[in-house]
Amino acid sequence: MAYNSASLDKPLETLKSFDWGGDIAAFEPIDAAVIAVHADPAARADLEKRLAALLGAGTSRAAKEYVCRKLSLIGTAASVPSLASLLPDTDNSHMARFALERINAAEAGAALRQALGTVQGDLKIGMISSLAGRGDTACVPMLAAQLTSDSRTAVAAADALGRIHTPEAVKALTAAGGTSDQAVAAAIDDALLACAEFLLQQGKRSEATAIYKSLADTAAAGTTLAAKSTRLAAARGILACLDTTTPS
Amino acid sequence: MRLFSTQALAIAALACLPFSLSQTTAAAEAGPQNAVQMTIDFLTRDDANLRAIGLERVRYGLKGEESTQQLAGLLPRLAPARQLELTAALSDRGDRAALPALLALLQSSSDVAVRATAVQAVGVLGGAPEVAVLTKSLAAADPEKSAARRGLAVVRGAEATALIAATAKQGDADLRSTLIDILADRRAVAALPDLAAAAVADDATVRTAAMRAIGKFGGPDQVVGMVQGVLKAAAGGERDDAERALVTVCTQNPRHEQSATIFLEQFKSADDQTRETLLPALGRVGGAGAIAIVDGLIADTNAAKRKFGMNALTKWPDATVSDRLLDLLGKVQDPDERELLLGALIRIAPLPDNKLNNQQKLDLLQKTMTLCTSDEDRRRVLERANAIRLVETLRFVVPYLDDPNLAEPACLSVVELAHHRNLRDANKEEFTKALDKVLGTTKNEELVDRATRYKQGQTWERKKPAGS
Repeated sequence: MAYNSASLDKPLETLKSFDWGGDIAAFEPIDAAVIAVHADPAARADLEKRLAALLGAGTSRAAKEYVCRKLSLIGTAASVPSLASLLPDTDNSHMARFALERINAAEAGAALRQALGTVQGDLKIGMISSLAGRGDTACVPMLAAQLTSDSRTAVAAADALGRIHTPEAVKALTAAGGTSDQAVAAAIDDALLACAEFLLQQGKRSEATAIYKSLADTAAAGTTLAAKSTRLAAARGILACLDTTTPS
Repeated sequence: MRLFSTQALAIAALACLPFSLSQTTAAAEAGPQNAVQMTIDFLTRDDANLRAIGLERVRYGLKGEESTQQLAGLLPRLAPARQLELTAALSDRGDRAALPALLALLQSSSDVAVRATAVQAVGVLGGAPEVAVLTKSLAAADPEKSAARRGLAVVRGAEATALIAATAKQGDADLRSTLIDILADRRAVAALPDLAAAAVADDATVRTAAMRAIGKFGGPDQVVGMVQGVLKAAAGGERDDAERALVTVCTQNPRHEQSATIFLEQFKSADDQTRETLLPALGRVGGAGAIAIVDGLIADTNAAKRKFGMNALTKWPDATVSDRLLDLLGKVQDPDERELLLGALIRIAPLPDNKLNNQQKLDLLQKTMTLCTSDEDRRRVLERANAIRLVETLRFVVPYLDDPNLAEPACLSVVELAHHRNLRDANKEEFTKALDKVLGTTKNEELVDRATRYKQGQTWERKKPAGS
């Protein structure tokens, strides 16, 4: 089906006041348009612009959620400013992140990084999670700084660094070891294990072994269940690194 | 060079691991420092978590026969409980290089659990050369015997199948019968001629096993042999089992239509006495060719032939003969014949694959009900009715809730119909009324519980039969 911008006038107008539980059949033309513009850059840009325009004031929360879902599919750098404006908004931040996490444009990552420096609490943890979801390597220094933040934020940062698993992430995690916060320490261990697993999968056995050794060192004197688990995971990892007969 | 440095680094890392790993480190540093050694060391530890890490490596890592042999070489040094773990892991590893160690373990161990696990592993990894040792274990007590049976079912190769088939030709009848069952589990097509020969063996146990085996995967080529098996079978249980096997080949197995045709030809070319023996099986197979023969027998003036024909008709697999049965039921005077025909109708009417739709099934069952002369027959009709999942069935059954002699089977059928949520929910009001009536009528506590639950929209889990 060919894209027809004019045919979306009514559905987009109806969408503005949409509330959850309402009739979503009215938006079928928009759903169809999202599919239709797939191979038509001009049409896609038009649809993106019209959808992004609904992210401002005067549009219901449910409508913004709908728009974010659609922009996660067709969004480009052009949508980023509109989506970024929602990031500090408690009601809409998560859906803006949902879209930004999936938009394949460097501007999306930059918007999340910028917001990371300004928002607090749960919203900040959300930014950290979305940056990890994007595998955003540029945010590693910012995440490293969060490892000394409050416990919940530090745990989220450690988890994110484990998911990003670059050498810089490993360095940041290793440097943050020795924290007295048990939850953060456990999260750092988990993240380092994730990094080591990734390196082993990449065939980088010596780098992986170094991480496992570091973990074994850290957990050596521990008597907690977490320490024992870390030691076992390190032993398992070291054995896997030694086993050069098995594809990693 | 890089490999060496990696290993050295890893081993050095282990030196930093506390708990019982310090000994591991020592072992790894002293020996030809490799992952196999470390795995072996883990496998000997008391810490179950460490052993699990080692067993994971046995199962999925350390590729190569040399590693397998080194790992399997640990078996004699382990306690029985640890031997069990390693044997199972070596079996999962799937490398035949472990076989010599497993066979040695079988030779040396008297622990029943270890022996059973070793036998099973030998089956999984072995081939024709291991058939003899597995067969020997069939003579042991359980669990080794069961493990040997499972092992022989999976031991690899056509040569192994041929060896099992050859062993099944002679010796103790129980062993032969077990081996025949194993050939059936293996779906050993190449052994079918041997199984056909065993179907007419002198020993009933062997014959029964052979017919059962062919019934599982036989086809048109086996029908002639199976007919001989039915004829050789002793009247009673063995004959009945043999007939069922033949009927399965002619009604369910691949190319069953062709098998049924061959059976019909066999029947037609047989003498009267042979026909007499084969007639019940012919009835169970059914079909247009068979009905012509049965019609002829029923119309015969010879009372014995008529009786044979009627017997065959009552064994029919579907409802295509329902008109004949109803017709005969209206004519017969003999109470035994009447009972036979009525029983056939009650059995056939609700059969799931009887070539009728649900409404036709219910019509037939209702017609049968009108021909019943005893409450016992009516009870059977009511008990069979719930297999027809229609609201009309509920309406047919509900009036019998008021009959003191038939209330319980009617209650059962109402509850069974209510068990099906889609049917119940689509006719909620009728079912609620019927279930209320059941609750005020039945003396059966389980039915009370079920009716109460269904009324509240809840589910009920049928108890599994004992032993399942």
